[in-house]
Amino acid sequence: MKALALLAMLVAATSAQAQFRMPNIDINKMVDTVKNVGKAVKDIDEPEEIAIGKDVASRLLGAAPLVANPGLQRYVNNVGRWLAVQTERPDLPWQFGVLDSPNVNAFAVPGGTIFVTRGLVERMRSEAELAGVLGHEIGHVLRKHHLKAIQKGAQSALAGDALGHALRDRAGPARDKLIAFGTEMYSRGLDKSDELEADRLGVVIAARGGYDAYGLPSVLQTLQAMNAQDSALALMFKTHPAPAERLDSLSEKMQPVLDAYSGQPQLAERFVRQIRK
Amino acid sequence: MRILSLLLLVPLLAAAEPATVIRPAELKQEPASDAATLATLPENTAVDALERKGGWTRVKAGAGEGWVRMLSLRLGGAATAKPGASGLTQAFNVARTGTSGTQTTTGVRGLDADQIANAQPNPAELAKLEKFAANRDAAASFATEGKLSATSVAYPK
Repeated sequence: MKALALLAMLVAATSAQAQFRMPNIDINKMVDTVKNVGKAVKDIDEPEEIAIGKDVASRLLGAAPLVANPGLQRYVNNVGRWLAVQTERPDLPWQFGVLDSPNVNAFAVPGGTIFVTRGLVERMRSEAELAGVLGHEIGHVLRKHHLKAIQKGAQSALAGDALGHALRDRAGPARDKLIAFGTEMYSRGLDKSDELEADRLGVVIAARGGYDAYGLPSVLQTLQAMNAQDSALALMFKTHPAPAERLDSLSEKMQPVLDAYSGQPQLAERFVRQIRK
Repeated sequence: MRILSLLLLVPLLAAAEPATVIRPAELKQEPASDAATLATLPENTAVDALERKGGWTRVKAGAGEGWVRMLSLRLGGAATAKPGASGLTQAFNVARTGTSGTQTTTGVRGLDADQIANAQPNPAELAKLEKFAANRDAAASFATEGKLSATSVAYPK
């Protein structure tokens, strides 16, 4: 809508000035430019979202590879896919990976790629906790939090119709810029409101999958108990609200859901058995 | 992965973890709101957290042992980390480097902010990632094995 408002102002200004012999302003060209900017932002469709996500995922895997444990990777994919099926985007090409890093973190990439780090998985105690974290990340994908942030940033970082070029030409320099920007975003984080929303969605998605809804709050309590100076936490704490604030927000808004589904399975034994393999 | 599993058992079996009551909380005999109330713990009471069941955490307090609402607690003592948490993790990493030898690129690759910002594509790992993906049917059987049943839960407004 901002583009439209701008357009309206341009038209008004130009026609007013035209009466005073304002020369050589090609109003049609101006209209086209404004239209293109608006279009590029609106028109990232699902195939493009998935394509951008694969390129960003490849870069994150360049930062940290997968843990070399096929059993663990398949296990996390089963949990994640089961949860994703319970949502409004059940048929995205969902894929889940445990990154080989001691850092405590998790990442949601547009189009359905989710990563959790070995450092985070090591600190979990049950499948319900894993489900809570994966549910949070799935929530980011459902609401396209990162995609929107990439669009917004690309619009200011790439001039004019460069986003359109980046989407059309997957081998061009504009594309490279877009993906580099999209990857770098994970070092800066999302808006706080996106994170708190993803927490609420994560609780619901885990409950829908039949898990104890307290899995995510439980992980947040674990993080809260860790030394905030631990370097393994640095990026996660930089890019997310503090665990205490996230827990307060869940307590305030999600208590009924949490309590209604607190008796569902935690599957601590299956989790430990699978991680041990 | 054996060291990893040992680590996992620590929080499951550890006797106690320091915690603080962050809002006045009823100490219940059982993990249920209609269970008998043993005492009311005021804000800032120091307790030991023993285990969690649903939304309840079993604690040992001066007033006795019982269950309080999990979200009434902040884990971790006053400004202290969980004892040994990062130390154990470090031991794990050292052990891992020693046995696998795959950590030689530490310092180049990694998930710190600047390492992410400068990451280069890794198509080989991306191909592996795709290979591990689960389809809907496999995920459904996996859920059945775990006795998980899907439930309809609305998103909050």
